[in-house]
Amino acid sequence: MSKLQPVIFDIGWNACINCGACVAICPQEAGFISPFDTIAVDRPCDIACLLCENICPTGTISHRPVAEGDPPRPPERGSWLAPQHPNGTSEERMPPKH
Amino acid sequence: MKGKNCTWMNNYDCDILIVGSGPAGATLARYAAAAGLSVLLVDKRQELGAPIQCSGAVSRHALEEVGIPLDEEFILEAIYGFAIYDQSGSATRIDYRQLKGDEYGEGEGKKPLGYVVDRRRFDRYLMTLAERSGAETWLKTEGLGYRTLPDGRCEVSLRNFNRLLSVRCKVLVGADGLQSQVGKWAGLQTHIKITELAGCLQFIVDQVETDGLLEIITGHEWAPGGYAWVFPKGHGYAEIGLGVISTMTDHNAQWHLDKFIQQSFFKDRFRNCRILEIQGGGVPLAAPLRTQYADNLILVGDAARHVNPITGGGIHTALSGAKVAADFLVSHLAGGQQQDFSAAQLKGYQDAWLAAIGNKMWELYHQKTKVFHQEDIPTRDAYLYRTMSDYFDPNSPYKKV
Repeated sequence: MSKLQPVIFDIGWNACINCGACVAICPQEAGFISPFDTIAVDRPCDIACLLCENICPTGTISHRPVAEGDPPRPPERGSWLAPQHPNGTSEERMPPKH
Repeated sequence: MKGKNCTWMNNYDCDILIVGSGPAGATLARYAAAAGLSVLLVDKRQELGAPIQCSGAVSRHALEEVGIPLDEEFILEAIYGFAIYDQSGSATRIDYRQLKGDEYGEGEGKKPLGYVVDRRRFDRYLMTLAERSGAETWLKTEGLGYRTLPDGRCEVSLRNFNRLLSVRCKVLVGADGLQSQVGKWAGLQTHIKITELAGCLQFIVDQVETDGLLEIITGHEWAPGGYAWVFPKGHGYAEIGLGVISTMTDHNAQWHLDKFIQQSFFKDRFRNCRILEIQGGGVPLAAPLRTQYADNLILVGDAARHVNPITGGGIHTALSGAKVAADFLVSHLAGGQQQDFSAAQLKGYQDAWLAAIGNKMWELYHQKTKVFHQEDIPTRDAYLYRTMSDYFDPNSPYKKV
């Protein structure tokens, strides 16, 4: 089932029922998700286990190999995603008050 | 946000921050806030419960056990028992209106065994109860990450309507469902095997008769690795669904559901069915997470895989697990003196949960595993039918899990 080549997933949104099963089965680290609560479709998946395609109740996930010109995989994200501030307090990373 | 718009996003501190306002998160929030803790409950959705990923069946006992009023705001239909079918359509009927007719029924002084609820209304109702108990709730608020602070607390990064903000709390609760990101932040082993996650699809339909029973249809022919169901859904509607294990079939849940509707022993019953809603989800038929805590963090509900591995039911287990978690946190944080929220301390939650519910869930998991270790399909079908029938038997030791 597993493929060595990184892949980019494609979701046929018309058949997607936003059930979340693809994210539930996905062994990727936190954050490999789309804004629509599916697996990410905007970056390569280097695991390529394809479990998401197998579990999808409507069979609406497919993939293609990563090609030249595809967006690179973003750097690994830590568990803390807000901008760091040297003195360790949070006030100054707040957006301006309205 | 109660007039706090100018200041709420700056310097927000609370005792407990809960990510995800489903049955587990909202129930934990309600109990913790009622006990005097400051509780912030956030959910990234604009409308709780949606998109629906659940059949909505829950026992009356499960609701009463955690003090949820039996309110018509969320109840779609009362349930009085079960019918378990084998592959050919023979059934074991467990109808409490007949078994214990003086106690269960529609008449005066009688009560239902359970309900099918509307998850949109149910989840909103539970959040309302939490709010009324004093919890602060923010919708359209997504958790992004957390880090521990030198004073023993932690800081959680959130995004609300595109604004980044951070909140400091003593304990972060991941109640963010089967797709839990909070568990992954903490590096907990949350991965589920493909052989233990059922891909499910259900249709809410018109023109299908039901009779106050939860109907469960077993058999590899209809739902390999799982089962199919027909539940009453209120207003004369029904819910037809099934879950399959993808390694046991070459087809997806949709293909199997179409086949079940068109070819099963219910095909005449379903002939005029009209689809009103389409819903789906992943349902774990798996063991609970072995570790449901980390420094400053615990998991509840689906995120901790508090799901019955025989039935796939998760509302009761989410509610009762949330109460165990709330009781633990209230006791642990009592008096405000306690400053140790490390994993070693929060392990107490999991210990309490195992003693109250978890050990029984592990037994159920072992029973379920024995069924699916049967390689021969007819043998496995017979074993599953017997296991399901025994599970729902009035004398089953597990019927309250």
